[in-house]
Amino acid sequence: MCGISGVTGTGDVVQILYESIRRLEYRGYDSCGLSLVHNGEVAVRKNVGGVEEVNQREHLTSMKGNAGIAHTRWATHGKVTQANAHPHLSMDGRFSIVHNGIINNYLEIRRELQDQGVPFVSETDTEVMVHLVALAYAEFGNVEDAFLAAVRRLEGSYAFCMVTSADPEAIYCVRAGSPLVLGVSKQRQFVASDVNAFLQHTREALTMEDGEYAVLRPTGVSLRRIADRSEVTRPHLHVEWDAETSRKGGYAHYMLKEIFEQPQTLLNALNVPRAEIEKYAQMVQNARQTYLMGVGTTHYVALTGQYFFSQLTGRFLPAISADEFRDLAVVGPEDLVISISQSGETYDTRRAVAFAKERGARTASIVNVMGSSLGTMTDEVILQGSGPEICVVSTKAALAQMVILLRVALELGRRSGPIDSATYKAYYKDLEAFPSIVQNALNERSGVVRNLADRVVQYRNWLVMGRGIYYPISLEAALKMKEVTYLHVEGMPAGFLKHGTLALVDENMLSLFLLPPVELKTLHEQTLSALEEVKARGGPVAGIVFEDDQRAKELIPDRVELPVVSARVAPLLSLVMAQLFAYFAALKLGRSIDKPRNLAKSVTVG
Amino acid sequence: MKAVILAAARSERLHPFTETRAKPMIRVAGRTILEYMAQALRDAGVVDLVVVVNHKREGIQRYFEHGHNFGLNIEYVLQDPIDGIGAGLRRCEPELNGEPFLLVYGDILATGQPFTALTEQFGESGCAVAALSLPPSSSEFGNVYLDNDMRITRLVEKPTDPTLSNYVFAGMFLLPPTIFRVLDQCQHDIEQTFQTLVRDGKFHGVLWEGNWIDIRRPWQILEANRMIMDMWRHAEIDATARMEGNVRIEGAVHIEEGVVIGSGSILKGPCYIGRGTYVGNNTLIREYSSLGPDSVVGYGTELKNCVLFARSTLGRLSFIGDSVIGEGVHIGSGVTTVNVRPDSQPVDVDTEDGAISSGMAKLGAFIGDNVYIGARHVLAPGTRIRSGSVVADSITQPSIL
Repeated sequence: MCGISGVTGTGDVVQILYESIRRLEYRGYDSCGLSLVHNGEVAVRKNVGGVEEVNQREHLTSMKGNAGIAHTRWATHGKVTQANAHPHLSMDGRFSIVHNGIINNYLEIRRELQDQGVPFVSETDTEVMVHLVALAYAEFGNVEDAFLAAVRRLEGSYAFCMVTSADPEAIYCVRAGSPLVLGVSKQRQFVASDVNAFLQHTREALTMEDGEYAVLRPTGVSLRRIADRSEVTRPHLHVEWDAETSRKGGYAHYMLKEIFEQPQTLLNALNVPRAEIEKYAQMVQNARQTYLMGVGTTHYVALTGQYFFSQLTGRFLPAISADEFRDLAVVGPEDLVISISQSGETYDTRRAVAFAKERGARTASIVNVMGSSLGTMTDEVILQGSGPEICVVSTKAALAQMVILLRVALELGRRSGPIDSATYKAYYKDLEAFPSIVQNALNERSGVVRNLADRVVQYRNWLVMGRGIYYPISLEAALKMKEVTYLHVEGMPAGFLKHGTLALVDENMLSLFLLPPVELKTLHEQTLSALEEVKARGGPVAGIVFEDDQRAKELIPDRVELPVVSARVAPLLSLVMAQLFAYFAALKLGRSIDKPRNLAKSVTVG
Repeated sequence: MKAVILAAARSERLHPFTETRAKPMIRVAGRTILEYMAQALRDAGVVDLVVVVNHKREGIQRYFEHGHNFGLNIEYVLQDPIDGIGAGLRRCEPELNGEPFLLVYGDILATGQPFTALTEQFGESGCAVAALSLPPSSSEFGNVYLDNDMRITRLVEKPTDPTLSNYVFAGMFLLPPTIFRVLDQCQHDIEQTFQTLVRDGKFHGVLWEGNWIDIRRPWQILEANRMIMDMWRHAEIDATARMEGNVRIEGAVHIEEGVVIGSGSILKGPCYIGRGTYVGNNTLIREYSSLGPDSVVGYGTELKNCVLFARSTLGRLSFIGDSVIGEGVHIGSGVTTVNVRPDSQPVDVDTEDGAISSGMAKLGAFIGDNVYIGARHVLAPGTRIRSGSVVADSITQPSIL
C-alpha cells in the first residue's frame, strides 16, 4: 500500500504537499519523495526512510513550486532504494509521476521501450508510465492527449498523479482500481489516496470513480471519463468526519481492522525472500546456542517459536523474555540472539540486545518498522512487512512473526535433517493455503465468536488453557484478553491443573480451552481430560474447537467451531479466533479497545 | 445528502401491531423507530428525508407532517402497488437530483451513529457502501464475505450451515446515483442489484459494531426497547411530573411532563413513563417497562419488561410482563399475562406461518390497538390478539388471532 497526493494553487505549495504525505504515512513509510514544477523545471527529491527522516536528509520542504506531487511507500516486496522511490522522471526530465497500485503488463512495455532506446533507472513498474507519456507527448504535442494515450496502454489496477514542465500549473491524475479522491477549494486543488491528505485545507471532496481522469489547475478541477473524454459532473461531498476515524477504513476499531488484515500480513510474511530465511537458518545452525527474545506479546511469539524449533529441528532454542534476559541468558561470542519486536524500539529488547552485543554474541531481529533502532543495532534484520499496526494491542504483527519463525525452523529442519523434502513441501502447501482459510474463517464465524463473547463476558476471572504448542498460544490469547478487556485472564498449561490451578476452579472461574485437532491424538486426549476435570468441579467452560471434534462438541456447549485445517497451521487459526474473541468481549464491556488504559504501543522507556 | 427511508411494506409478521400502522411507527422507549433513525441522520447532517410510503401511510404523514417539528424536511413518495424494495427505491430517483444518497430500511434500529462511517467509506471507495452488523442469530439473514479492503466479495442469501454466522446487511446503505441504472438492468430486484454490484467489485462494507436490530417479529419490539434503555445512564424527570408520598425511584427512570405517580409506587429503571400518564397507588413498575403517553395504570398493578404504545388503560391488580400492548387498549382489573411455560421451554407464538419458537424463555402477550379485555382474564404465554378484538367473557381463549 502506498499513499500519493498532489496539490496546485496560487503561491508556494511545498509545505502543504509535505504535510499531505505526513498524513498519509500510515499507508506506508519506507521511502518517500516530492516533485514540484518551478521556473519551468521539474525537480524531484526522494529517498529511503520515513517522511520526516527523508526531509532531514533531502530538505524536501526547501523545494519551491506552485504545483507538485508526493508519494510515500510501504514496500511489501522488492527492494527499497532511492532509485525505486517515487516520484519517477521521464528520460527527458519533463514529466514526473507518482503511482499507487500495479501495472500488470509493465515488463512487456519496458522491453518495447528499451528496444526503442529508452533508458530505465529503476526496477519499478511505474517508470514505464512516465516514459510512455513523454514519448506520446513528443508525438502529439498535447499533455492531455499524451497522458491518455499512455494510460490506455496500461493493464492493472492503479492511480497516478503527474506534473510536467509542459503545463507547469497542472496536475494530471487517473484512477483505475486504486483509491484516489479530489479536494477542491477556491485557491488550491488537491488530489490524494484519501481525504486525510488535504482535510486541513478543504472539506469539499469530489470522488473519482474507476475509469476517470482529472486535470487540476489552481482555479478548478476538470473531471472526465477516459473512454470518451466526456465531462463528469458530480456534486461535492462535504466531509464531516475527522482525520482520525477515516483511517480505520470502515472498521469500528483498529484492532478489528488489523485482525481482518491478517490474510494479507500472512501473505507478506510468506513473501519474505527465502534467502533471508535461509540466512537465519544458517546462523542458528552455526551458533552454539540461539536465544529467541521478545517481551510481552513477542515473548509469547518466541515461546511459540521454541515449539517450532524443538519439533522441526530437534534443537532447543530457549525463549527468554527481554526483561529477564540479562539475569538468565548465558551469552558469548559463539551464540546468537534473535530478537522480535513490532516497532523495533522496545526498551527492554534494545537493552537485552546491547547486553548480548557486549558479550560478543551475534544478533538478528524480526521487526515490522523499517529503520528502527533494533534493525540498526542487530547484525541482520528481517522486515516482516505487516504494514502499520496502530492498535496498541498487537495482532497481525504477532501472527506474521510466528510464521517467519516457523519458516526459519522449517529451513533449519531441512538442512540439519529432521525435515525431509516431502514434509517441507507439505508445510509450504499448508502455509500458502492458510491466508484464504483465515479470510474465510473471519468471514463465516465472526458472528459465532461475538455471540460466545457476549454470553461469557459476565465472568470476571478466566483461565485460557492448552497443551503442547497450544500452551504458548493460550498465553498469547490470555494476554490479548487482559489487555483489552481489563479482566483477570491467565494463560495456563492444561497439564498443570492438578498441580495447583484446579484450586482456582469454581462456578465463577471460566476456563477457555484451545482444543488441538483430533488427529493429534495424545494432545487432544490430554486436553479433553483436563477439560473434564474442570467440569467435574463445577467450573464453567468454553472452547475453540475444530468442527470434526465430536467429543469436544458434546462437552462444550459454549464454543466456536473452526473449519478442519492441517495440524501444521491449526494453532495459528486458533490464535486468530482468540484475538477476535478478545475484541468482542472488550466491545461488549465498552472498553477503550485501541488504546487500553495504562498501555502504550511501543514501550520505549524502562 | 438525502436519505431514503423505506416504509411502505405491510409486514404481516409484525401483526397485530402492523395491522394498524406502518412498521417505522412502532414505539419503543417512548419514541417511534423512525424518530430514532431520523435523529441519527440529523446528527450526521442529513435533514432531507424521502420516505417511501403506502401501508397505513396516513399515520406516518399525520405524525411527522413535513418534518418541521423534528428538524427535518420530509418528502413522501407513494409506492403503489407495494412491489418490493427495488421498485420502491426506483420511484425515488426524481427526488435525489443525481446525488449519492443514504438508504435506510424502515424496520431497523441502531443506537449511536452508523451514518458517518458510511460517508467516510464512500469518500474513500467512491462506490456503493453497506453497513454490516452481526445479528444475534443468523438464521434469518444472509452472509456477507469481505476482502482486506472491505470490498464485498460474496453474498450468501441463506447460509445452510447453522454453525456459521457473520456480518449481514444492517439495512443502511450509501448508494451512488448510478444504482438506478443497475436497478433497471435487474428488473428492480434489489437482491440481483446487490449481486451485480458485488460481481463488478463496486460494493464496499463498513462494520457497525454498535447495537443493531432488525425488528421482524413482535417479540423483537421488546429487544429493541431494551436496546434503547440500555443506553440510558441517568434518570430524567420532567419538572411538571408530580409524585405523591413514598414513591421510590431507582436507576435510569425517564418521566415526561404531566405524569402523576400515586403514593407507595416503586419504579425500577430503566423504565419510561410517557407524557400525561397516570400511575395509581402501590404499583410496581420494573426494569424495561415503557408506558406510552396518556396511559393509565390502576392500583397495585405490576409491570415488567413491556411496551405500551399509548393511550391504554390497565385495570387494578393486574400483571403485565414480557408483553407488547398497542394504542387505546383497555385491560380490565385483575388481568395476568402468564410469561413462562410449565416446562420452562422457549415460548411459541402462533403466526400466519404456524407456531414458531420465539427463543425466549419468558414471553407474555401481544395485544393489538383498541382491544378490549374484560376483568380477571389470564392470557397464555405467546398469545396474540388482533386489533379491535373484544374479549369480554370470563373464559379466556388460549390464543385468538
